[in-house]
Amino acid sequence: MNISSTLRIVIVGHVDHGKSTLIGRLFYDTGSLPEERYREIEATCREQGRAFEFAYLMDALQEEREHNITIDTAQTFFKTSLRPYIIIDAPGHKEFLKNMITGAAAADAAILLVDGAEGVREQTRRHAYMLSLLGLRQGVVAVNKLDLVDFRRDRFEEVEEEIRGFLLSVGLVPAHVVPISAREGDNIAAPSERTAWYSGPTLLGALDSFSPARDISGLPLRFPVQDIYVGDGKRVYAGRVESGCLRAGSRAVFSPSGKKAVVRSVEKWKQPDRTVASAGECVGVTFTEELFVERGEVLSEEGEASPAAREISASLFWLGNDPLRLSARYVLKLATAEVEAVLSAITERIDSSTLEVTERHANRVENLEVANVTFTLQHPIAADTFKENPRLGRFVVTVGEFVAGGGIVREVRSDRLGRGTRVVRLHSRMMTEPDGNFVDLSQEAGPVEFEVSREFVARLGEGEKVAIRLCTADQLEKIARLAFGYGLGMTFRRGPEGNRVVLFREGPVVQAATEVEFPVI
Amino acid sequence: MDPLDALENQSIYIFREAHRKFKDLAMLWSIGKDSTTLLWLARKAFFGKVPFPLVHIDTGFKHPVMIEYRDRMAKEWAVDLVVSRNEEALCQGMEPGKGRFVCCNALKTQGLQQVLDRHGFKGVFLGIRRDEEGSRAKERIFSPRDKNFEWNYKDQPPELWDQFNTSFGPDTHVRIHPLLSWTELDIWEYIRREEIPICPLYLSRDGKRFRSLGCVPCNFPIASGASTVNEIIEELKVTKTPERAGRAQDHEAAYMMQKLRSLGYM
Repeated sequence: MNISSTLRIVIVGHVDHGKSTLIGRLFYDTGSLPEERYREIEATCREQGRAFEFAYLMDALQEEREHNITIDTAQTFFKTSLRPYIIIDAPGHKEFLKNMITGAAAADAAILLVDGAEGVREQTRRHAYMLSLLGLRQGVVAVNKLDLVDFRRDRFEEVEEEIRGFLLSVGLVPAHVVPISAREGDNIAAPSERTAWYSGPTLLGALDSFSPARDISGLPLRFPVQDIYVGDGKRVYAGRVESGCLRAGSRAVFSPSGKKAVVRSVEKWKQPDRTVASAGECVGVTFTEELFVERGEVLSEEGEASPAAREISASLFWLGNDPLRLSARYVLKLATAEVEAVLSAITERIDSSTLEVTERHANRVENLEVANVTFTLQHPIAADTFKENPRLGRFVVTVGEFVAGGGIVREVRSDRLGRGTRVVRLHSRMMTEPDGNFVDLSQEAGPVEFEVSREFVARLGEGEKVAIRLCTADQLEKIARLAFGYGLGMTFRRGPEGNRVVLFREGPVVQAATEVEFPVI
Repeated sequence: MDPLDALENQSIYIFREAHRKFKDLAMLWSIGKDSTTLLWLARKAFFGKVPFPLVHIDTGFKHPVMIEYRDRMAKEWAVDLVVSRNEEALCQGMEPGKGRFVCCNALKTQGLQQVLDRHGFKGVFLGIRRDEEGSRAKERIFSPRDKNFEWNYKDQPPELWDQFNTSFGPDTHVRIHPLLSWTELDIWEYIRREEIPICPLYLSRDGKRFRSLGCVPCNFPIASGASTVNEIIEELKVTKTPERAGRAQDHEAAYMMQKLRSLGYM
């Protein structure tokens, strides 16, 4: 049997733009709607004196049917000839944003639905922004209800332009923008004659073009310890390989403790000959020597440990009823680690539907807002930036019993004690050679922060330049920020001898910027 | 990753997380294919030694074949089995004739409540799946029930990125649903792959078999010649009838399952 990976799709958008109807229609058009369910819906509709409602398939709860809205996420399954799909319906109403996030957090790709007659609305934008924060980069926009505007091309293109513009501003590019009518079935499974001017795929065709979720096996090993089972004289460390590959015999290191160990065996019930566990697998691990390590520690291969974070800067969305407050204490949960943290800065507060920065250096974040924040942790935990490792770069914030917010890690700042970010002082590393000043960072593979002295900047002002040989793209970014902060000029060159930037100064000295003044993505 | 492996790993992760975070857990075993698969997964998660008891809510109306299979497997797998019956209701003559809602509520829901109280269980694993019926589709993996056993489906806490809500107040008990993302077909394919022994009532006899197991008076067989797991899978792939078509309480009144579930039914 050709097992093609199941793709999990979430459908988001403003309330009443037709999500539930679209899902019912997708089922019907792929032959996945059981006859009995069809008849059940038909009977209920007849009782209520209405025309057949595809939306009833997902809106099973009584309140939902009575009020014609979706309250919570539900999941249902259908297949095209290519592969199986799990469709997660997510509610559109503002109040149900937390349910939408729960649904979307589990998805591999998204359909952003927009009512073609009404156009892009508040929730359309808010959901799109949330998708971007949740790391969901694959998506298709479906412009719906075109039957209400006679399938006019100009109206479709108007809406298309507006939504593409917004998506771009949050860093998203949709794979396709498809004109549809969920109620009437146009361009869902079969191309519609009424949109002869459209040459792209049908909605199902667009779904089939999505590729499965990001390949995480190429990333470094991250095995967070979930629990420890003691028995038969062994200590078995249970957990899930979040990324990379775990091998028996490998030399490993834990973060944040830095403890080292050699993996003796990979254990699975009734599978005694396992030597490797890959990403996504839940296994038990034993070590060659006795070791005491707690839940929350993350195992990696020697030399590739997760940074030990003392401070985390993140973009987060807040779902709690009470506002998130500066200087208050919260509990963060990242992988299997749990740590108390103080919210030490709210750098920007952002309205999630307009993306406007409503306040800098704020003292609170309200329900449904997004913010760039910094947490100072009570003790270090292993964490990666979301960009480097999505599984170890995201966390939730709990208040009392429940999850009240979620965040993705933008930066990690470490303890000197742990294996973490090194501070590189460019002025100390600078070498002066006949053909100019030079800093060689080509051996600095780990995470770094840069510092420069006043004298360094002053020398550049006197017409000198410095060439810096880079090791990673992360360094390029950090140097660019530094240059921006000090008003320095920067050029870069990629070449066979390595990648370099050259820093120089053209104008007068600029006051060091304490924040980078860019719109936030 | 193979889809069945992905589902298996997710369920194992949930089991281990629950065991770490809660004391006084139990697993509901209805003897059906889903909860037997659940038991199999628990054995995998804990390397053969399931660290909590299995609870069977015996309504008194179960098929004798089910009871025989239950006792045999419990012994073979060294399961710590707790059987609970709402004796009080049964003595007072509770039976489906009194109305299915009333009977399910008394013999199952209250039967569950009694065993939780008697043993002080703070949480139970259940083998429900989203694709079984509408209100189950809306569930969370870790789902609290308040002290009145009620399910506040209108205001569920968010569940995000495998971070489950695992700190609850003292009067709540938690329902844990490791099989939520599995479909009926996934269950059968897994049973086939792992060679999990299942209750013989699922297999055809005299041209009939049960697609879903319930109590004798309210559970109707389907016409089918499928007498092996392979044949059941082939049959499932072409059927257009939903799984619970033979379960009378689902169809008795509009939204009955939702009402039952809001009062604490499985």
